[in-house]
This record gives sequence, C-alpha cells and structure tokens, in this order.
Amino acid sequence: MTRPSTIKRSVDMQIIADWVEPGARVLDLGCGRGVLLDYLVQTKQVHAVGVDLDFDKISACVRRGLTAYQGDMMALMRALPENHFDRVICSRTLEELPDPGAIIEQALRIGRTITVGFVNHGYWKNRTAAFFLGRKPRNAVYTTAWFESRPTNPASIADFEDFCALRKLKIARRAHLGGDWKTASSLFPNLLAGYALYDLTR
Amino acid sequence: MNDADDDLNASAPSEPGEVGLVEPRDFVTTEPFTFDNGQSLPGFTLRYETYGRLNAARDNAVLICHALSGDHHCAGIHSLNDKKPGWWNNLIGPGKAVDTNKFFVLCANVIGGCQGSSGPSSTDPRTSRPYGITFPSVTIRDMVRTQKLWLDSLGVASLYAVIGGSMGGMQVLQWSLEYPAFVKRALAMATTAREGAQAIAFNEVGRQAILQDPEWNHGYYPKSGGPRVGLAIARMMAHITYLSDASMDRKFGRKAVSARRKSAPATPSEDVSELSMEGIDPVAPAATFDVRFEVESYLRYQGQSFINRFDANSYLYITRALDQFDLAATHGSLEKAFAEVQAATLVVGFTSDWLFPPDQNRAIALALLRAGKRVSYAELSTDLGHDSFLLESPQLYDLVRGFLN
Repeated sequence: MTRPSTIKRSVDMQIIADWVEPGARVLDLGCGRGVLLDYLVQTKQVHAVGVDLDFDKISACVRRGLTAYQGDMMALMRALPENHFDRVICSRTLEELPDPGAIIEQALRIGRTITVGFVNHGYWKNRTAAFFLGRKPRNAVYTTAWFESRPTNPASIADFEDFCALRKLKIARRAHLGGDWKTASSLFPNLLAGYALYDLTR
Repeated sequence: MNDADDDLNASAPSEPGEVGLVEPRDFVTTEPFTFDNGQSLPGFTLRYETYGRLNAARDNAVLICHALSGDHHCAGIHSLNDKKPGWWNNLIGPGKAVDTNKFFVLCANVIGGCQGSSGPSSTDPRTSRPYGITFPSVTIRDMVRTQKLWLDSLGVASLYAVIGGSMGGMQVLQWSLEYPAFVKRALAMATTAREGAQAIAFNEVGRQAILQDPEWNHGYYPKSGGPRVGLAIARMMAHITYLSDASMDRKFGRKAVSARRKSAPATPSEDVSELSMEGIDPVAPAATFDVRFEVESYLRYQGQSFINRFDANSYLYITRALDQFDLAATHGSLEKAFAEVQAATLVVGFTSDWLFPPDQNRAIALALLRAGKRVSYAELSTDLGHDSFLLESPQLYDLVRGFLN
C-alpha cells in the first residue's frame, strides 16, 4: 500500500540523501522505523545511528540491520563527544520537540552539520485554517484533530531563519518544497512552501 | 525521521516447534588451564548441550550463556516425563527467535558450576574428595576462556552470535572483547559491565547465609550434605531481587496460605516441624512463625528446590565472579575495554529490573557508541523485574529474531 505520506516523504528523503556525504557518520534524531537511515545506507553507505523513544521502532531498525538507540535524544547527545558524527538529521521531528533550540545546539556540538526538515506552519493553507475557519489546521500533513494529536510546537520558515540569525548559525543549504512536498518552491517560501529543509553549520 | 510504514508483517514465521529430547555431553580436556588468579587445574570438564547442526562453513553457531543459577540445559527436555523444558526453551527451537533450523545452538555449564562442569563439588584427583574451596577462584573471563577451548574442540570457526542475560550478559561482553574476530554478533540483556554496590551487597548476604551455616564447615562437606539452610536462605533472598514489587504483589498480594499448606516446614530446610506444646507446657510460645503468606510459602519452595540442585560452594564462587566483574576498572575505562570489539552488539534493558537497572545496560551501549562500535539499545517496558529477560514476550522475540536475521 502506498499512502500519500509515503510519496511525499520520498522527495525530502532524496534531498537529504543528496546533501549527505558518502560514507558519513550520521545520527538520525527520531529515526522511527529507520526508513530514512536505511535509504541513506543503501544510497550513500553512511554509518548510521538512529535514536527514538519507542521499543517497536528500535526493533524495526534492528530488523533492517541498522543500529538504533532507544531513549531520550538529548541524553544520548550529551553522552557523546564533540564531532562524533559528520551529520545529525532532524527530519519531521523538530515541531514535536520541547526546546528545539537546545537540541540544535547539542546536535551541532556532536555533529559538524545538522539537517533540519520541518513542516512550514506559515504555508498559506495552514494560515487560512486558522484565519478563516478559526480551527487547528487539518490536512494531509496535520491529519489528526487537536484532542488526538501529539503536542506540537509549529514553526514557519520565517521563524526558523530568524532563529538561525539569532544564534549565528550558518545556513549552508536550504530547500523549499511546495504544498505537495514534491516540487521546488522558490517564490515567497514562507507563504507558498509546505515543507522546508536546511543544512546548518556552526 | 518520523514515519509509520507497515513492515510489521514482513515475514510471518511458520509455527514454531520444539527442540524435543536432548542429551547433555561432556567436553573433557587434559590440557592444564590457568585461571585469572594464577592458579591452575591439570584439566577440566564442561557439560554442554547443542541443538541444530553446525553448517559446512562452521559459522552458524549461536552460543547461549547462562546466569548465576542456570545451566547448560537451556532448551528441550531430557525425558518425556520432564515437567519443565530447558530454561530458555521459549526463545530457542525450530522456528523460534533463536531458530535451531538455521543455527547450531550451544550452551555449557560454566566452570565453577555444579551441573556437570568442573567446580568445587568435583572430585579432586589428588585427594579423591571434592575440591571444596581448594578449587581455583573463578572469573567471568575464566568462564569465557574455558568455553573458547570447548568451541575450538567442536570445530566452531566463529560465533554467529553470543546471547545471554544477567551473568550470561557479562559473558557476552567478555566474549566480544576477548575474542573480537570470533564473535560476529553480541546480544546482552539485563546485565551490567560493572557489578554495582547494591548487587555486591545482595550477593554478600547470600554468601554470609552459607558461610554462617555450621554445616558449611569451611567448604568441606559430603556431596549429599552441606549448608542446606544457608543456601536456601541465600536463594530466597536472591530470588526477591529477580522479581519486582508489582509482579510479586500481582502474584501473591497478601494472600494467606491455606490450612493444608501450613504444614510446609517452618524453616527453609527440611527439618524442624512445629512441635505442639499445647496443654503441656505452661510457658508455651504465644506466637508462631510458621508460614502465613503465599509469598513466604513460594520463597521457601524456591529455597527448597534450589538446595536439591545447587552446590553451596559453587554459589560462593560464582557470586564472587559476578562481584569481581568490572570491565571499566580492568581496562581503564569502558571505552578502552570495548576498543577492539568487532561484533554488532544489541543491549536490552528492562524497565523494572532493579538488580541491573536500565541505566547500567544503557551505559554499555553508550560506551560502545563512544568507542565507535555498531550497537543498538532497546528497553522493554515490563513490570516483571530482572527475570524479564526469561519471560514470554513476543516483542522481545521479534527483537531477537530481527537482530539475528
């Protein structure tokens, strides 16, 4: 079965794979069942480590032959030395994390680069849901009603770039995808992009 | 990244079967063996069992390492009348997580043990009496080194995996750093790289129960005798540390024993049944301390059945081996200890394990990560305590199966 989210995922996965250096040491924050890491191992022969909170997700990673650590990503990162990884990836996880600034800071201590991918809350459809309907956005991305959702801390592209400026983080690369999460979106990204990817360095 | 793909039913395994009837065998060597402490034996015996077949490349061997009170009989049955199969029968067998159709599974009783391998209860050829405490003191590394000699004698070229929980997990770690090229996968559960003060403390109480029993007699006692009361008390206490508050309360609560079962012996050993003083002695006891709660009866039963199968001196030796285990101190740091490891490692902790708590298991995984090794850490939520690694859990089976395939 191919679900809409599976199609959407493939484009941001490809972008991340384009950005990852072959053979790099990669940590994936919130690795889930290891789909991205598996893809990176196949296409870029990375040395992959994932971290997630859920036993069954770790078990799925292990079944894929990946190495994964069950536990708190902050605790894991604090236990690792500087520059332990070439790249830390935080894809589709950022908006669900408490204190994302501290996580990005830690990631840039243990890794040289962090790749962040997140849903742009400034996308016009997300705005109209709140503006015209007075409702929490519900669409292909935000699929659940508020009472069945995990806590989220949504950010827009403008928010994120402000944060990078404030923390003096270098934006080495950026990619903005349209509402379909497939096609590139260059004009007014904060309004027209549905998904954003960034490579940050110290 | 977050995803929710369905790869759960990727390959539904066929209905698992049983190992069935098995027979223990003995590895006997007459080569002298020098223990870590410098003492030596002119030779030794390890009793073991195997299930499945060694393939032509001799690389499908999976070694199982047993815990303190375990033995080589980890799967199958010895006779059709056996009430219980081997201690890890739920994990090992045709089509099970450790699949004997694919793997040549082996398990040996550790050196210093009492189930057929050389240990303090073995006969010293010089005196024709049991060694007692003249047997060389044993370490986890001695257990592993003796097992390597045994595997070499069977022609095992490499270990596809080595698996163990608790003390078995310590052996797993020792295996992967002692013979890095020999071990391809290491799976350690409910264990520690460094026996902590609490675990040493519990072992010490157990040892004291044995040492203070006059029947211990400085380690010299006949095969059928010995410090049965002390050993039973040691076992009763240790058994508590394998369970949890929640699991004990669920199993026993405050349930009182029925009148019928009150006839159980008042002490953990076989002797001393209550004498009825009623109507005879004017200063008869006002209180009795015979068994009142189900949990007491259970522990007494555990103590009783243990003394029929375990040697008190072996208990002293093996708990000492546990207490001495500290890879960080032995190698300078845990990262240095793991520097040569080549195996892909999986460490599994259990949330309710308070003997070797999740943190101690996590510390192993973190040190391996820092040392740049391939390691995964998984933590199973269970309220069954330290013994969780032995219990039936489809989640655990899936993890083990996934790691091995």
